[in-house]
Amino acid sequence: MVNFTVEEIRGLMDNPINIRNMSVIAHVDHGKSTLTDSLVQRAGIISAKNAGSARFTDTRPDEQERGVTIKSTAISLYGRLVDDEDLKDIPVKTTKNDFLVNLIDSPGHVDFSSEVTAALRVTDGALVVVDTVEGVCVQTETVLRQALSERIKPVVIINKVDRALLELQVSQEDLYQNFSRVIESVNVVIATYFDKVLGDVQVGPEKGTIAFGSGLHGWAFTLRQFATKYAKKFGVDKNKMMDRLWGDNFFNPKTKKWVKVGGDGMERAFNQFCLDPIFRIFDCVMNFKKEQIPTLLEKLDIKLVGEEKDLEGKALLKVVMRKFLPAADALMEMMILHLPSPATAQKYRMETLYEGPPDDESAIGIRDCDPKGPLMLYVSKMVPTSDKGRFYAFGRVFSGTAKSGLKVRIQGPNYIPGQKTDLFVKSIQRTILMMGKYTEPIEDVPAGNILGLVGVDQFLLKSGTLTTSETAHNMKVMKFSVSPVVRRSVEVKNAADLPKLVEGLKRLSKSDPCVLTYISESGEHVVAGAGELHLEICLKDLEEDHAGVPLRISDPVVQYRESVGAESRITALSKSPNKHNRLYVIAAPLSEEVSKDIESGKIGPRDDFKARARILADDHGWDVTDARKIWCFGPDTNGANLLVDQTKAVQYLNEIKDSVVSGFQWATKEGPVAEEPMRSVRFNIMDVTLHADAIHRGGGQVIPTARRVLLAATLLADPGLLEPIFLVEIQVPEQAMGGIYGVLTRRRGHVFEESQRPGTPLFNIKAYLPVNESFGFNADLRAGTGGQAFPQSIFDHWQILPGGSPLDKTTKPGMVTEDMRKRKGLKPEVPGYENYYDKL
Amino acid sequence: MEFFVKVEVCVCCSEEAHDKHLNAAHSKSAVDDEDSEERLCILADTSYGACCVDEIAAEHVDAEVVVHYGRSCLSPTARLPVIYVFTSKPLDIDGAVKSFQQTYPVKDEKVCLMADIPYHHNLPAFTSRLLAEGYTNLFQPAIIHDPSSLLPNRTLPPDVQEQGADRLKAYAIFHISTPPTSLLLILSSRVRSIHILPTSPTSSNSSSTQASSSLSPSTTSLLLRRRYALLTQLTTAPILGILINTLSVSSYLSALTHCQNLIIAAGKKYHVFVVGKVNAAKMANFSEIGGWVVIGCWESSLVEEGGGGTGFWRPVVTPFELEVALMGDEERVWGGEWVGDFGTLLGRAERNGRSEGVEAGPGEVADGDGAIGDWDEQASDEDEPPEFDLRTGRYVSHSRPMGRPAKKSLAPSTSPDVHNGTASSALIPRNTQTNLATINGALSPAAEFLKSSRTWQGLGSDYKEIAYERDEDGGIRGAGMEEGRDGVARGYVVGAGEVRS
Repeated sequence: MVNFTVEEIRGLMDNPINIRNMSVIAHVDHGKSTLTDSLVQRAGIISAKNAGSARFTDTRPDEQERGVTIKSTAISLYGRLVDDEDLKDIPVKTTKNDFLVNLIDSPGHVDFSSEVTAALRVTDGALVVVDTVEGVCVQTETVLRQALSERIKPVVIINKVDRALLELQVSQEDLYQNFSRVIESVNVVIATYFDKVLGDVQVGPEKGTIAFGSGLHGWAFTLRQFATKYAKKFGVDKNKMMDRLWGDNFFNPKTKKWVKVGGDGMERAFNQFCLDPIFRIFDCVMNFKKEQIPTLLEKLDIKLVGEEKDLEGKALLKVVMRKFLPAADALMEMMILHLPSPATAQKYRMETLYEGPPDDESAIGIRDCDPKGPLMLYVSKMVPTSDKGRFYAFGRVFSGTAKSGLKVRIQGPNYIPGQKTDLFVKSIQRTILMMGKYTEPIEDVPAGNILGLVGVDQFLLKSGTLTTSETAHNMKVMKFSVSPVVRRSVEVKNAADLPKLVEGLKRLSKSDPCVLTYISESGEHVVAGAGELHLEICLKDLEEDHAGVPLRISDPVVQYRESVGAESRITALSKSPNKHNRLYVIAAPLSEEVSKDIESGKIGPRDDFKARARILADDHGWDVTDARKIWCFGPDTNGANLLVDQTKAVQYLNEIKDSVVSGFQWATKEGPVAEEPMRSVRFNIMDVTLHADAIHRGGGQVIPTARRVLLAATLLADPGLLEPIFLVEIQVPEQAMGGIYGVLTRRRGHVFEESQRPGTPLFNIKAYLPVNESFGFNADLRAGTGGQAFPQSIFDHWQILPGGSPLDKTTKPGMVTEDMRKRKGLKPEVPGYENYYDKL
Repeated sequence: MEFFVKVEVCVCCSEEAHDKHLNAAHSKSAVDDEDSEERLCILADTSYGACCVDEIAAEHVDAEVVVHYGRSCLSPTARLPVIYVFTSKPLDIDGAVKSFQQTYPVKDEKVCLMADIPYHHNLPAFTSRLLAEGYTNLFQPAIIHDPSSLLPNRTLPPDVQEQGADRLKAYAIFHISTPPTSLLLILSSRVRSIHILPTSPTSSNSSSTQASSSLSPSTTSLLLRRRYALLTQLTTAPILGILINTLSVSSYLSALTHCQNLIIAAGKKYHVFVVGKVNAAKMANFSEIGGWVVIGCWESSLVEEGGGGTGFWRPVVTPFELEVALMGDEERVWGGEWVGDFGTLLGRAERNGRSEGVEAGPGEVADGDGAIGDWDEQASDEDEPPEFDLRTGRYVSHSRPMGRPAKKSLAPSTSPDVHNGTASSALIPRNTQTNLATINGALSPAAEFLKSSRTWQGLGSDYKEIAYERDEDGGIRGAGMEEGRDGVARGYVVGAGEVRS
């Protein structure tokens, strides 16, 4: 029974103040989807009976089977506050008590965190779910960091309180202490990634930004709810009451006074007023104290109807708790009161969302969330449709109004204003509302809302900007916290199926924000993903769904990077084929910080060169003149290799710049050691001699020469291979810890942090593990610890492959290189630098 | 390196064999000269490939017959009769027999004995030795002039002739001396396995036994896969270069037309180049070209991406590979078949052309991007969707600057009326959005390339970047500017019209 219609929702869309766009984020298995269910139940799409186990937002069969969310899923809900009075507590003046809540449930497993990024982009608030028992885990931290860097305001729900009560049987004070520890650690993360514009977003129960509850049982509460209940009784202001219900506040029943110090049987207000009723219900129901139940229910004003009276045990507990503290009420209230509306949020998010100047019409449209402004719509991901091979473009209108038939400019991620690359004009065919498995057509969608689009999927690979303004720049491209470092190559079992595979690969790369599909230089079709699980899911989709043909899948392979360990021992020199032009280049390692800044987008090719030089000089100790003369980034014009012009007074240098840059892109894409991309190399052009006639220093002479000299410089600079390293976080009980060390050591991993989770026998272990050694790690770990350890691996950094030079065949890097070269169909030996170096 | 003697026979000598045989050729000419009235002319500098007959050079001296010395690809020529003198190199037959025995321990294995042309004369002796050793299923092909044969330039075993190409898959090939890569690629899908007995000019006389290196199918499939990677780069290149690397192989002109038609049909732009011997430097001069197709004899069409010091800036492929590249993702199959000579290719194209004519009726054949229902209502002034570049996994826009296959009606640039107003106005409106650069009313993707991706646009364009040192009055310090020279390299013009080199 749907209790709202598309028309009603459309009506709400016009009022941005009454909209909340939010995503649910958390560590894996902390209960996001389950919690989302209780909200969906509220909106009436699924029956209350199934809430807690239906996982409405897990739309794929394999998500249901594995019990793991893979794709983020959006639903629009209609919500209202229980009490109209509460409207006053919303920081922005709100008159109507009708709210549209657009909610996105996101996956918790690290391998799918690109889905989280895509979800966060289109929302303004985040509901962070934290497990009472497990506390803040690695992925909680990662997603929280991502949320804050997108200027997204968090509220927290501490979930699975029922587990603490039923399994751990903790006392009230212990539970309070546990809660405050969890809150403390959430606030530590928030403080670490403090953003001045977003301001103070520390969470606290007394502020009403933390809820406690159980998604499985469908109940949750905030202090506000209890405060409302007790405010009348004590005759104090609700907000004052909230303050008293948390922290070191005690109520002395004898003196009827509030005190700051406990003692003589005085209980903490939180325990006495909030936890006690809950504990009593649990105690009565679970210990079958049947005679006490009716009195208790009466006291708490809970009425059971019909069959419900005959229930017992957990089933009864569920019903009672759900009636006592319905999760949807608590969450709705928390979201509506404390999360910003698009109108509020876009004011401060504009500058992090928009690439262009902050005063052009598009920027102003975004800032004001103006439905009459120029259309600015960001497509953050593609959602497969039932129609094979086609996708809905999923995104948010930040400015203007998107409607069917509107002609828009589709700007892909490589669009540069004024140029024609990645720019298409096309009309939107239909706009739709996305609701879990279902979609509803809708006439138009004004600014501040999340929507689906039909008919633009062919123009965008994964994400992009749609606009009606000719001057609009792009919305900022999303930065993912994961990189596709694990690769497997696929080939068809039957050659005639190749076209189907190709088509399947195209669809696969569209359907996932992170996955990469391409043909390697050795001619293999490669699928690259963030981790083993991610790849497994992608390849399963590819084989069963997108391509639908039998495939042969290779073992996972890691992509290496080529780098240098020192400065070139002599200046590399190459002459052009006509011997009239000479290039002198030195390769040197680029510091890890600079490479990371480039990869994270802090330093980029599109920055103003003076601003960039400032950063390089101030933060990384570069010479300012050098820093201003960065010719380009590579490979793909944005990689972490730099070409720096250090020549003095060379004639015609500007003329050959384009050719040298081409050669640089070429060389950095396919390095000399094993044709892997280069990383973290700085090439300094020391000197150049050029022929006086333009024709003798054309591209033909310079491009191959530039490539040769760069390769020679690399080979002369102690070349090395970089391998990707996972950061593994493992949660494990103390007795099983020994097994972890064994498994890690066998796989060249090492532990760098080990801490006990307070109040539990669980240990948190952080370790670095080479991605190359990580295949089958999870299974191995489970075997080594009797299934008690749960690892989460996320790509962390690149590290030099130890063991010697890749040029020496007897070393490990040498063997890896030889294998790689053989696989690629190259000569097994790395060519010597003499192949690229010319004598003067 | 050309000798002109007053004789009418022209001797065309392959460059490879040049050192060894030129003397022989010369002395022969001297002999001929005394005996007859014929004029003899020795050509040594082959323009395109050592394996090919240089007819053009021969025609320059009004030759009536060309004698080709040395190994040859035996591609059919169009204009002149050719007499081939293959020359012969010695082979250490004992060693060869020994390594043959190592390779094929089973005596009734089906083996086809092949040798590079200079070693071919050794085969009868070799075969009889092996027969004496007890091998029963050997086949020794004879040389024929047919590169499009299943075994290029060789006769086929009798059972293959009768029962078709499938029977060849039962044969292993034992090849004396390393074959050209194109031969390997051609054979890889047609025979069971290939084993190579390497020979080198210096050691061929020595009695050291050389083990035959075996080329497993996986090695050749690696080679083939690399070609696949190379050719897929061409799928999204907007501008292709056609490189003429022969002027003598018969039907090279129809191969050219074939390639042109393919490219036009794919909506891409092409330019035709004749550069003589192909090298990286020449090709890199045309940075706007996204990929090259070489029209040459079946051996020299395959220009290897040298790796090492001689890498090509953009991929260089053969006409067959071009055909595969432009095929469209929903048809492309890369199953190991590799065709080298364009005789076969043209034959196939003709056959397909006839059957296709029926298929592709008025409606356009559905493009894999799929036109289903209300998904793609395409208004005339809307842009074409970008294409997925298989090689990089990204979208590439404007990979078909000249329009999609559906717009075949747009005249290809070969038709004369392209340059007049009507045709160009027919071309332009569709592109009002993308607004490609035009030259004389014709779309020019190359001009567009230069406009958008070259940062250096000539002297003076860099004023903003170079801060000149200025004195107190604001004048530029240092030398003032003077008018320089302009024009092309073969004759620059300085100032007012004075030509200087």
